[in-house]
Amino acid sequence: MNLALVRGTVVATKRSDGVHGPRWLLVEECDPQGAGRGDCLVALDMVGADRGQMVLLTQGSSCRWTTRTEDRPMDTLVVAIVDAVDQGGKKE
Amino acid sequence: MVLARVKGTVVSTHKPDSMEGLRLLLLEKVDAVSLKGKGDYVVGVDSVGANAGEIVFYVTGSSARMTETTKGKPSDATIIAIVDVIEKDGAITYRKAEEAS
Repeated sequence: MNLALVRGTVVATKRSDGVHGPRWLLVEECDPQGAGRGDCLVALDMVGADRGQMVLLTQGSSCRWTTRTEDRPMDTLVVAIVDAVDQGGKKE
Repeated sequence: MVLARVKGTVVSTHKPDSMEGLRLLLLEKVDAVSLKGKGDYVVGVDSVGANAGEIVFYVTGSSARMTETTKGKPSDATIIAIVDVIEKDGAITYRKAEEAS
């Protein structure tokens, strides 16, 4: 899993993914200090994350291991909201 | 899923039977704010009826085989949505209706 920041939302009405009523989030991968890497991805939200929050991103076929995404064409999922990152005993 | 713009189509006559009937589109990855192309191209299978110029997002890897169109097909990049609106940091960076007019 990778750390990422929620930067916004994406609306797409014409879809073929078969996932109903999801929120699409625009996420940017970041370092443990919360600095964005510049590249944004579209992710399916599983936890109700809000803009500005640091989240955990699952990518690849592992994204299909939830009841909502089983056998669906999903490869980027927001699976958790990060409360704190502790690095070497120091809170980031 | 990755944001990209449909730049054109790819035609191939010499391919396995399982790929018969698949619509191949040339995609260029785009920046989520400027919507400018990154010069990074990929060929994706269309499963939503996307047209040239539209902003879409696509799935990669084994998930690309999970649409009705690509079930059991050798696709590793499939377009699964046509984007209407992108919002970043509270500002609308893309609206399909506006770009078309």
